[in-house]
Order: sequence, then C-alpha cells, then structure tokens
Amino acid sequence: MIVKAFIKESKELWRDGRVRVAFAIVTILLGIAVWISARQYQHINEQYQNAKSAERAIWDDQGEKNPHSAAHYGTYAFKPKYPLSLVDQGVDKYVGTSIFLTAHNRNEAQFSAAADQTGLARFGDLTPDFILLFIIPLLIILLAYNSFTKEREMGTLTLLKSQGITPWKWAIGKWSALFFPVLIATIVLFVIAGIVLSNLKDFGVFRWQSLFILSLVYIGYYIIFLNIVLFISLKAKKSGIALVLSLSVWILACLAVPKAASNIAESKHPYPTRQEFAANVLKDKQNGLDGHNPWSKESKMLEQQVLAEHGVDSLHKLPFNFDAYRMQKGEEHEAEIYAKHYKYLKEQYSKQSGLYQSLAIISPYLPTRFLSMAIARTDYSAHWDFSDAAEDYRIATQKFLNDNFAQNSSYGEWDYRANANFWGKLPEFSYNPQELNAILTTNASSLWILGAWILLSFGAFLITTKSI
Amino acid sequence: MDPAFLWRFSYNHKIHLTMLPYNFKYELRLLLRSRWIQLLSVLLLVLFGFSTYNGSTKVEKRTNDISSAKKEVEETDQAMLKLLDSVERGMEVSASPWTIPTSPMAVGNYHPRVAAMEPKPMAFVSTGQADLFTHYVKPTVSGDDFALNFTEMTSPVQLLFGSFDLAFVIVYLLPLLIIAFTYNVLSSEKEQGSLRLLASQPISVRKWVFQKLILRFFWLSILVTLSLYIVFLVVGIQALDWLSVLSLLGLTLCYMLFWFALAFLVNLFVDSSAKNAVSLIMLWVIFVLLTPSVLNQTASTLYPMPSRTILISEMREHKAEATKKQDEILDNFLRDHPEYAINDSTQSRNFYHRYMASQKIVKEELEPIVGEYEDQLQKQQEWSRKLQWLSPAIVVQESLNQLAGTSTADYENYRRQVIEFAETWRTHLITFLYNNATFSQQDYASLPQFTYSNNTNNNVGFSSVVLLLIAAALLIFGFAVQGRSEKKGMLSH
Repeated sequence: MIVKAFIKESKELWRDGRVRVAFAIVTILLGIAVWISARQYQHINEQYQNAKSAERAIWDDQGEKNPHSAAHYGTYAFKPKYPLSLVDQGVDKYVGTSIFLTAHNRNEAQFSAAADQTGLARFGDLTPDFILLFIIPLLIILLAYNSFTKEREMGTLTLLKSQGITPWKWAIGKWSALFFPVLIATIVLFVIAGIVLSNLKDFGVFRWQSLFILSLVYIGYYIIFLNIVLFISLKAKKSGIALVLSLSVWILACLAVPKAASNIAESKHPYPTRQEFAANVLKDKQNGLDGHNPWSKESKMLEQQVLAEHGVDSLHKLPFNFDAYRMQKGEEHEAEIYAKHYKYLKEQYSKQSGLYQSLAIISPYLPTRFLSMAIARTDYSAHWDFSDAAEDYRIATQKFLNDNFAQNSSYGEWDYRANANFWGKLPEFSYNPQELNAILTTNASSLWILGAWILLSFGAFLITTKSI
Repeated sequence: MDPAFLWRFSYNHKIHLTMLPYNFKYELRLLLRSRWIQLLSVLLLVLFGFSTYNGSTKVEKRTNDISSAKKEVEETDQAMLKLLDSVERGMEVSASPWTIPTSPMAVGNYHPRVAAMEPKPMAFVSTGQADLFTHYVKPTVSGDDFALNFTEMTSPVQLLFGSFDLAFVIVYLLPLLIIAFTYNVLSSEKEQGSLRLLASQPISVRKWVFQKLILRFFWLSILVTLSLYIVFLVVGIQALDWLSVLSLLGLTLCYMLFWFALAFLVNLFVDSSAKNAVSLIMLWVIFVLLTPSVLNQTASTLYPMPSRTILISEMREHKAEATKKQDEILDNFLRDHPEYAINDSTQSRNFYHRYMASQKIVKEELEPIVGEYEDQLQKQQEWSRKLQWLSPAIVVQESLNQLAGTSTADYENYRRQVIEFAETWRTHLITFLYNNATFSQQDYASLPQFTYSNNTNNNVGFSSVVLLLIAAALLIFGFAVQGRSEKKGMLSH
C-alpha cells in the first residue's frame, strides 16, 4: 500500500508541469546564490590574506622604538571567512571583521558589511541560506497543500475508502512521495556545495562532517514543514483554505516570530548603547590602577608593595624598570575591567537567546536558523569566540612588550628603544574556530527542540490520518 | 451615432448604477456574515498595536539615551567649571595633570559635546537603519573622523531578524491579508456554481469582479484607517505630525490598491481558487522577497565597496609616515595656517602641537580614500533609487523609512553633519592650542554646540501617486484584455 501510493503520487508530481517549473526556478536561484557567495567568499579571503600579511609587515618594520609606543601603535586582528559561510552567511554581514589591538583598550570589531550597504540590504540577500530557510519550505507548501484536499474535492476519497485502504499507510505513501524529491534536492545541493568548497583554494577548516550535520538539520526542518502542511491538508475542507493556512504558518514561523522575538529580546534584555558602554568602562578604569599615572593612590600602593617585596627602599634599586612594571599591572587591571563588561554583554545575550529558544516552540525556523549558523561558524558565538581570542592575544602582546621594556631599561628611562628585530619575535595571531563537537554540545538545546518538533509534528500528522 | 447603441448604452449604464448600491449592501452583509470584517478588524488591531508599541518603545529608548547622555555632559561640565574656577584662583587640584581643563586639548578630549540625532515624530513607523546605527556620538579633538564608530552596539541576531515594526506589517503582512481576502472572489462563484446565475445578469463579469473588489478595498481601507487611528490613540504617540500621518495613510492605501489590482488581474485570468492563491503568493514572493535581495546583490556587485581592510593599511602607512616627519609637518602647518598662532608670543611647542598638525595631514591625505566609500554608497543608493520601481514593496519601505527619518540617506546626512561638527570643534580648540592660550571659564559659553537638522526632501507623495498610477494601469489593462477574451466565453473553461 505504502509503495503503491508512493509510486502513484510520485508519477503525478512528475507529470505536473508546475512542479517541474517550481523546481527549476528554485534550482536556478540556488545556483545563482551559490555562485555569488562563492565569488564573495574568494574575494573576501583574498583581502583577508593581503591585509593580514600587510599588517604583519607594518608591525615588523617599526624600526627602533619604545615598546610602549609600539603598544599604542597597535596591530590588527582580521577575521577570516569560514568555508561553510558559503551555505549560511549567518550574522557575518552584521559583525565587524577587524579588531584594533592596542594598549589599554579592548576595541570592538569594526566595519560590518551591512553598515556599508543601502537600506535594501535589510530585506535580505540572495544567499543559499535564504533559499534553504525560506524558499524551499514555500516549495514544500506548494507541492503538498492539496495532497488530501484534492482527493476530497475530486471525489476520489470515497472511491479510496470503498477500496478499504489503511489510512496511515496511504498517508505515509503520500508523505514519502512528497519528501523524496525534497530529500534528493537537498542531498544534491549539499554534495555540490561540498565539491565547490573542497575545490576552493585555502578552504581552511572545511570538514565534510560539518556539512553532513548541516544537511541533516535542514532535512529535519523540511520534514517538520511537510508534516505541518499535510496535517493542515488533512484538516482543511478546501484546497484554497489549506493553502492559505499553510502560508500563514510559514509567515508566522519564518518572518513574524523571529522579528517579534528580536523586539521582545531587545526590550527585555537590552544592550547598553556604545557610548554608555564606553562610559561605564571609563568609570571603572578611573577607580583603579592607571599604568600612565604614577601619582594616583593605587600607584603609590603598588610602589610600596613592590619595594617591600624586593627589600629595597628606592624604585631605582629594583632589578627592572618599575614604569614598565606598573604599566603591565595597569594593563592587567584594565583587561579585567573589559572582561567584566563584556561578560555583562554576553549574559544579556544569553538571556536573549533563552528567549529565542522559548519562542522556538511556535517557530521551527528559530532552532534551525541557530543550528545552521552555529555549524557554519557564522553565528554570534563564533564571533564572540574570535573576539575573545583576539583579546587574549592583545593581553599577551602587551605582556610581551612591557616585559621587554621592564627587563631592558631602568626606572625613568622613557627614551629606551627596543631593537628593530625585536618586533618579529612576537608570535603571530592565529585563530582556530571551535570544533564541531563543541558546537553541537553548546547548541544541544536547539537540537532537542528540533527533534521534538519532528516527533510532535509527525505524531499530529499520523493521528489525524485516523479521521479520514 | 446609432440610436440603438445609445439606448443600450444608457440602459446598461442605468442598470450598473442601480446595481452598485445593491452590490454594496450585499457585499457588506456577506462580509459580516462570513465574519471576515470581524476577523480582519481584530487582526489589524493586534498587528498595528503590537508593531506600533514596538516602534514607540524603541523611540522612547532612543530619546532617553540621548537625554541621559546630554545630562551627563551637563554634570561633567559643572565639574569642569568648578575645577577651572579652582585653578584660576590658584588652588591645588587633585586631577591628573593632563586632564585639567585649562588645556584646550583636555577640554576637547575629555569634555566632548553630544552630537545627537533626535528622532522624527514618525520614527516609530519604521526601524529602518535605526538598529544598525548609533544616535549620538561625542567627537573629540584628537580622534580620527573616519574612525568614529557610527554603528550601534546591538546583538547581530537582532539585526538579522529585523524588527516587527509598522513598516513590516504594511509592507509584508498587509498584502498577504489582501491576498487571503480576495483570491477567490470569482473562482468561488465558479466552484459553487453561482457563476452561471451571475452571467445571466446584465453586468459583465469583469465589472462585477471590479465592483466586488473595489468594495472590499473600500471596507479594508476603512478598517485600516480606523485601527491605525485607534492604535495611535491608545499607544499615545506624542506630538504626531498630522501631515505625516496623512501621507502614511495615503501611501498605505495606494500600496493596498496595487495589491487589489493584482488580485483583480489574477481573478480574471486564472481559474481555480487554489491556483489564484498560488499565483498571488508567487507575486508576493517576487515583489517582497526576491526583487529586493536581487537588487541589493547586483548593487553591491556593480558598485562594490572597496575593502575596509585596505583602508586600515593605508591609514596605518600614512600615520607612520606622518609620525616620522612630525617636526617638518608642524613647521609647514604653521606656515600654511598663520591664523592659528596669531597671538602666540611664547612659540613653545609640545606633543599636541605636532600631533594635531600630523592628524590634519593624515586626514587630508586619506580624504580621497574615505571619499571612495561615500561615492560607492552614493552610487548604490542612486541605483536602488532608480530600480526600486521594480517592486512596490521597496518603494513603500523606502518611503516609510524617509517618513520615519531612518533611511540610509538620513544616517549619511547625520554622519556628514557630525564630521562637520567635529571639524568645528577641533578648529575652535586648536586656535587656543596654537596660540598657547589657556581655556578659561569665560570661554565655556562660546564652545560650539551640535544641532541636527533633518533631511527635508522626502518623496512620499510622489511615491504614492506613482503607486496609484501603477494600480490604475493594472486595472485598465485587466479591463481591456479581459474585454477581448470575454467574447470567447467565460463559462466554457
């Protein structure tokens, strides 16, 4: 019964001109999207390589210089583009790509692509994730909305009933006939993406394993949509109504709920404005040790403490340059302040993402979107991870510079110059994105929600078949 | 003219006139009995209410942020004046030496003014670019203009999902309500078999569909107007600019008419209810989702932004160069700008004299590169302005952004004004610096202040008229083409 229904439905789908046209359109759109993204990916990576080596050359060729001047001069950390961003661009467009690493300050990533585009950019881009997340579910709706209603409208349902069919087997047959083309299309798409990616130069951290998990997430998403649409088709009396209802679900899940969620998240757990954030950091900094201010209370305390530790009575008798030592202590203190304030931001965001997750109950789009971005390393936490790594590197760099200053000069010797070849000894900044397993563990709740959606929607669909 | 034709014409005309009030009553009763009106009213109230509430909380936060920033500056200004007073009276002060405001550079760096972009009265209508860009900055004397960060600290997830604002309801959801409200006007008659009855009436099918749709448009317009009015009253938007509200309403109605016109065409040319719905949804996807993203993609492919990372490298090289030649730069600078040091008798030079002179040089050298970004953005905007007519959804979104003062052009305008102000601020204090004059309490009153002036050119009216014309053209097209095919028989297929 299942097989017969499957064959009959598949034939019918194949013969339907509209289905073929719809598939062709989606394939063409996807082709264009992949092509554009691949070009952008290559272009951006080229720029990244150039900028990275140019910046390093500037750092290395500083000549003789005081290490603290070099610290103020600073260097840049550039964010690479990850291979799977070809499939899902995630929030990449909205976060900066370069971080200025300098003494005393943790800077935000600068220059997001969205800020350099017109208002049109806010409608969305023609990228593979747009097609995968929005258009293919729409395609599923168009394929499946009248699966059961048409049997009712054409009167074939009575005929079928008189044959003594088992409703659930019949329904499963229909389900698999509809799912099969979507499955094939998804697999083909992901295999093509994998081949394109492995043929790009410098494809970095690309792993087939991640791509495989990503394709599973999308297949799960499509199963949920198919179940919902078929459930509606079973319940509705007319095809037109089934279509309008399915579309309402689509609008709600993919457009309305995410937007509403973002509004609620913002009003419940707001971020400070950039200026407020800077002002808060400044306030904390003023209350603590300032490496540049030898006259402050904290500096005097540090002085006494260090003198006591080394058993000497004058800063000149210390075996190192106390100016540089104080600078390093100040640096450590400032790093703590930044860590505290960024931790607050992260807490606000994790509250926000809790809200997104609870709204995932009414929108399967949300867990899919978050999982997809996470696996592609284009989500917000991937950005945090990168900016934290850059901050660690900044702190290490400051220590490297201050230590050199402290060991090679004496107290008050501000005109000390480090050798021209010293800068090359600073290790290069290298960043490895999180491993797949770590990502899946942190996003376990999204996986569970997606799984629950699949099971519940399947259950609802199968139980409804009884009422045929 | 043939008298028989004239007679028939006037006869038909009379019947149409008598049909209209009848249809009007019938349609209203039908809509009320099918609970369409009730459902639509509730939906519209909920959607408009929620989105307006969201928009107004955002605006409220923006206003509060700005006023608290201004308040903070006022407070630190009081502290600064107190400190100046103590210094002027020769008292010992506990502040770090480089922050004492007798130095003009300390004033310029530690006591910047708030350059704020106040919201327009209609800002709640559309978030536009408001979540991406900041609404106040404090430019300092020694900062780089192009390094001023105009982006706001927002979670990028929020930027990705966008905001549930009134513009979203109007641009995205209203057409869908219209589609649900109109897709089966004719086809349901066909499917129920009442079309044959209708065909026997002395009115052509297209006129009948037209009347039916226009009546539905009329009722929906009333509902939209009323619910917007109620929502604005309940949410209590202050200082509403009624002219802007009228243009918002006009634009919305024209956009609705466009979708009704499309529904009219689809009802005439496609047959079954389900196929009508599919066709209309396809049109929705094309106009609302695909066209904007394709246009954006082509705009950024045709006029690509030069790499920002290259800007960084250029800036670094120029700065390194300038640092090496600081003394020379300062000499040239003072030769070129004798006005700065006109009253200086001491001729003493310190770090800031050199630094500010080099900053100016670096800024001038980088201007062509920075200008490139602005040019490309201008070109992209020009391009999207021309091609926006491919999709009424873009036209409406852009017009709403203009109405709300949250379009890209508004933020560009703000950025330009801030950079201009930063220059004023710098020049004002640099004059003190090169004259080696100290900043005193009397000088406080003449510190430059920033006032933002809104973009005045908006073309909401023009957009509305063009939308209206497009809708009219679609309707006329429907009449003309269907009139020809009608002879073949509407009932046959």
